[in-house]
Amino acid sequence: MNLLLSKKDDAPKTQAELLYEIQIRKERHFRANVALSWFILLLILVMLFSGQKINIGPFQLKTIHIDTAFIFNNMGFIAAGLQETIRISVLSILLAMILALLAALGRLSTFPPVYALSTFYVSLIRGTPLYLQIFFFFLALPQLGIILPGLWAGVLALGLNYGAYMSEIFRAGLSSVGKGQREAAMALGMTPSQTMRRVVLPQALRFAIPPIGNDFIAMTKDSALVSATGFVHELMWRSVKVGRAEFHNLEALIMAAIFYWMMTIILSYFQNILETRLSKGDR
Amino acid sequence: MVPIVKVSKLDKYFGRLHVLKAIDLEVVQREVVCLIGRSGSGKSTLLRCINFLEEPSHGSIEVDGIKVEGGHKGKERRQFIHDVRLKTGMVFQEFNLFPHMSVLENVIEGPVTVKGMDKNQAIALAEENLDNVGLLFKKDEYPNRLSGGQKQRVAIARALTMQPRVMLFDEPTSALDPELIGEVLNVMKKVAKDGMTMIVVTHEMGFAREVADRVLVMAEGEIIEDSKPEALFKHPKDPRTKALIDRYRTGEK
Repeated sequence: MNLLLSKKDDAPKTQAELLYEIQIRKERHFRANVALSWFILLLILVMLFSGQKINIGPFQLKTIHIDTAFIFNNMGFIAAGLQETIRISVLSILLAMILALLAALGRLSTFPPVYALSTFYVSLIRGTPLYLQIFFFFLALPQLGIILPGLWAGVLALGLNYGAYMSEIFRAGLSSVGKGQREAAMALGMTPSQTMRRVVLPQALRFAIPPIGNDFIAMTKDSALVSATGFVHELMWRSVKVGRAEFHNLEALIMAAIFYWMMTIILSYFQNILETRLSKGDR
Repeated sequence: MVPIVKVSKLDKYFGRLHVLKAIDLEVVQREVVCLIGRSGSGKSTLLRCINFLEEPSHGSIEVDGIKVEGGHKGKERRQFIHDVRLKTGMVFQEFNLFPHMSVLENVIEGPVTVKGMDKNQAIALAEENLDNVGLLFKKDEYPNRLSGGQKQRVAIARALTMQPRVMLFDEPTSALDPELIGEVLNVMKKVAKDGMTMIVVTHEMGFAREVADRVLVMAEGEIIEDSKPEALFKHPKDPRTKALIDRYRTGEK
């Protein structure tokens, strides 16, 4: 067996094999250089916060001074906000998906009131800032006698906002399912709701998953806006709170930034895996 | 014999375009009828009216005793159309398999979801039909892993598994590479031999000549000729039929 294998290795390589190897080597080289450049950029970024004065020829570069003791002391308090940030993001994206699907179906409806409701909702939400919407829910709901815990008011605002934007994704997903698919389902005798449930929706959702992932990543950061109301103790709220209390606003914000960035990197990694898997799927 | 499909005074307009003009058509049990004609002659529209993928403008359609006519409205009409669709199997030019389902799932989807058939029973029936089209060994593949000819054979098995009274074929080989047409036509011949009533819109004159009991020629929304294939191909009455057949003969050479 070994003998056979070694013999095979010794065999001269074909032109195609050689070209393929060169291609692979080139790609590896490129990736290594990108990684190195990332490292250097990161180093420069860290240097910027080193507090040292750097002399480059006749110029002197000032850098930002960071109180590391403060960072170590408050790491735990800010990190505790991660959980809340993730919770509000997950709940909001779930609400947003439901609303987006309903809005997309409404948009495709031929029944005027339903179509109007959908377009009205999307227009109103897209026409006003998210920041304003979040305050609106905290201020307006109590006047209606609806007292929601801070988290839920935030989820409602974020979910409604993202739902309006994501309805476009769902609409594209629904339109991506060809007419032939509906006809095949109809010819089998499926009712419109069976056709939607069994044939159209599964294909539309598959189409929509990658952009939903993008929106989820964006939402983890937009959830910071909810902190402004003071009722949800997520990453941003906690960092602002300790920063103010100890006059170390900048350090606190930098810590929050690191947490947001790390979270985004991890989520993007999973997003990539998901996308590769879907693209290999059966379309 | 009592016709299994009866189309009476069928009119269809697309806007102001009169695409079907007072069509009458009867197809009896076990009969294989081929519809030929140039594109735009209305043959596909006629076929699609039979299972109401196109809504007829006037006239009535009757399939296996279920008659749908203009007077039927609302819920009653929907119910009748549903019943007609249960009695008709349809095969499309573009196959229209469900890409998110495996071959087997495609084939059992109709019986399980629409008829509420027990899943095991549906699988047994589906496997029998997949075996008949020679694709049982592909049952766990997804459609994107099949050739066009294989997709169309699965589509035929899917339609057959609904146990229809009549099969409608809408140019089943027109989207196929030439070398894949034969396998689909062979499966269709087998289905005809097993006694299925078939209405086939096709450009395959060879198939029409060999398998059909009757060939209908359509032009400008009307059936201009209706005869046995031998007679039609040897002595076409209408000059438009002759032109159609001549074109096919030159194409053959």
